[in-house]
Parts: sequence; C-alpha cells; structure tokens
Amino acid sequence: MTTDIATFLAHAVALEREAAERYAELADAMEVHNNKEVAELFRKLSNFSKLHLDEVTGIASAYTLPQLRPWEYQWKDGESPEAAPSDRAHYMMTPYHCLHLALFNEKKGYDYYADQAHKATDADVKKYAQMFADEEAEHVVMLEKWIATVKPPQDGWNEDLDPPGDAE
Amino acid sequence: MNAPTNLTAADFKSDVKPIWCPGCGDYAVLSAVTKALADLGKPREEIAFISGIGCSSRIPAYTNVYGFHGVHGRALPIAAGVKLARPDLTVLAAGGDGDGLSIGGNHFMHACRRNVDMTYIVMDNQVYGMTKGQASPTTAPDWCNSKLTPEGTGISPVEPARLALASGANFIARGFAGNPNEVARLIVEGVNHPGFSFIHILSPCVTYRPEQREWKTAVHAADVTPAQMIADAMHRLALDDGYTTGILFAGNRPAFMPERKETASFADFERKFAS
Repeated sequence: MTTDIATFLAHAVALEREAAERYAELADAMEVHNNKEVAELFRKLSNFSKLHLDEVTGIASAYTLPQLRPWEYQWKDGESPEAAPSDRAHYMMTPYHCLHLALFNEKKGYDYYADQAHKATDADVKKYAQMFADEEAEHVVMLEKWIATVKPPQDGWNEDLDPPGDAE
Repeated sequence: MNAPTNLTAADFKSDVKPIWCPGCGDYAVLSAVTKALADLGKPREEIAFISGIGCSSRIPAYTNVYGFHGVHGRALPIAAGVKLARPDLTVLAAGGDGDGLSIGGNHFMHACRRNVDMTYIVMDNQVYGMTKGQASPTTAPDWCNSKLTPEGTGISPVEPARLALASGANFIARGFAGNPNEVARLIVEGVNHPGFSFIHILSPCVTYRPEQREWKTAVHAADVTPAQMIADAMHRLALDDGYTTGILFAGNRPAFMPERKETASFADFERKFAS
C-alpha cells in the first residue's frame, strides 16, 4: 500500500503510462504482422490510456513526486496492473480477444485502485484512489458493452495456412 | 539512481519497430533494458550495445544507443574489443541461448574468464526461433517438437549460470521476462559490478515453445543474499532448479583491463594507408 499522496500518484502515473505504452507496443507488433484491424484497436486503447494519463498527470502536477526506480514500485505482480501481459498476445488475435485483454487489464486497474482506497489511511490517497477506481469501473462497463457488439471468433481463428512452425 | 541525465526509458527506444512475434518475452527484455539504461543515468553516446545473430540479437536496433549487430556467436569478442578500445563506454552485449552458448559457446567461456568489464544478457527460450524451432543447447533432452529431433536430443542441456560460474564470470544473475522491473534491476546491478556480468533471462518463445507461458508459475525469487564465495555459489547452483531468479553470485575479481600503449599515431596510419 502507498501511504502518502505523492507516492500514490507516482504509482498512478506509472500505471497509466505503462498501460498506454504497452498498448502502443502491441499496436506496433500487430502492424508488423499485418493484423491491421487489431493494430488499430490497440492504438485506440493506447490513446484512451493516454487521456487517463493526462488526467492523472494533471492532478499529480500539484505535488512533488518521488523518483522511484523501476523495481521500487509496489506492484503486486511485479508489473503495473494495467499493462497488458505480453504473453497473452497472438499475431492472429481478433478484436474480440483484444477487447477481452483490455477488459482484463481494466479489472486489474480497478482492483488496484479499489484496494488502495480500502486500505488508505491518508484522506487524499483515499479520495483519489476511490475516484480512479470509479473511473476504472466505468471503463469496465464500457468495455463489456463494446464486447457485446463484437462477434466471438470462430473455431480455428488461429489457423495459419502458412504456419511458422511448419517448415524446417 | 546513478548520475541523472533526465533521459527516460522511452528516450532509449529507437524508432524501429520490433518484428518479434507478439507475445515474445523479448519485448519485456527490451523494456527492462531501456528502463535500466535510463536508471544508469548515462548519456546515450556513452553506451554501446553489441549482439550476434538470432531473434533476440535484434535488440540493439530497437535501442537508441551505439549498436553493432555482429556475426553469429561473436557478440562477446566484439564487445570485449569495444571495451578495451574505449574503456570509457558502458558496454552491453546480448543474444540468445543458441548464439551465446552454442555457436558462441567458446567465446562465452573465455569472456567469463577474461573478466572484461561488460554486461552480457542472454535471452534464453531454449529454442532456435529464427530458423523455425530447432533444439538449442539449453533445450531439455526429451523435447521432441522439432522435426530434426523427433525423439528429443537425448543430450543434457547446458545450464548457463553453472557454466558462467565455472568459467569465471564475476557476477551472475537470473531474471524472468515476466518481471521486467526486476530484470531492469539485475541489469543495473550487473553494469555497476566490476568485471564480466552475466544476466541469464528466461524469455519465453510463445511460437515454438508455447508451454513456456507456464514459466511464470515456475520462477521463484532467491531468498538469500548473493553468494560472494565461488564454493558457496557452486553449492547453490548445484542444487538450483534453473528457475531461481535474483543475483546468484557477486564475486570480487578485479576486471581485466590491460594497460593501453600508443603503438601508432594518425600520421603513421596516414603513411601506411593513405600515401
């Protein structure tokens, strides 16, 4: 748990920045592998994360944030909770998979902020953590609605007629 | 933090987009490297990043420091040459398990024993990915998913950390790509430790070894302080399951740096080559 507002906001800035960067990285990877539809979607998600980053950075500008080294952040799993786990990407993934991955990340973001709000003893940490948790909850609802409009992939979505492991 | 330069991890990324498979662990290693370089606080022109051949050896192209994409298995002699010629540079070398421990295996042993002050990152996925999935020197003997070894290799794999220790490396650490912030710490510690530092990173290949996604449940942090005595480290590594992460050995051998002598002036070179 982060105990003071400056440390909490340093974590929030890193969380949002790393989410945006990871989505941009996945967008690049999908572009390189000619999965343009998913690349565009990841790019959109990156831009949404940047908007949230701008908001958090704006709030944080009123404070002097501590300069934390990468491994000094107090993340539960070693990585910031909203950064999409790289190993869940696939070069043939569909928009359905992409949005489910985003939903997974938003839920982790919500859990992080909700936990901070629950455990905080500092009034400002509690206030902002609850505010960010509420925003993440909105994102979860939005994504669930979005996913409902996207057709699930058919069986064999990852069937590659020229599979990378086929020839030696 | 070392001497700050105000450069961020993003400043150490180049504009070249990686062509690694989506899901590859090497993306996380790139993230760790750029975070480590930002933390080291050195200007970009004081860092050289050398590699050999293979998927992971593309990494210098994706960073924004001096880079050299060398010959297969030859990252370490090139990196040693750079460091001996320009001791003021921070020198990193990188590659995969095939490049570093098979094609470049001999160079690896001698780089360990020479103990030139540089940091070598091996991204180990236990497979030759770029050539479509053959067994590498770190592949388990019973892995039989390659047409070249349908019944497995039947050969005991190289254990990189043990080989490094036996060969004289002065700093040995192991990380997991699933925890890039910890890998960044190991790289920073390795760079700051004098002599040859070996960073072994378990970096899953999701294309040819999709089962390596489960490494995240197998890795466990070293719950002891780094061994400083070779005998202690030998004992620890003999009992190690290959999934212990953290600093495994931090020795105290002085780095090898021969005295430099002026053997030729520019005028000499001009007389020899330009006249």
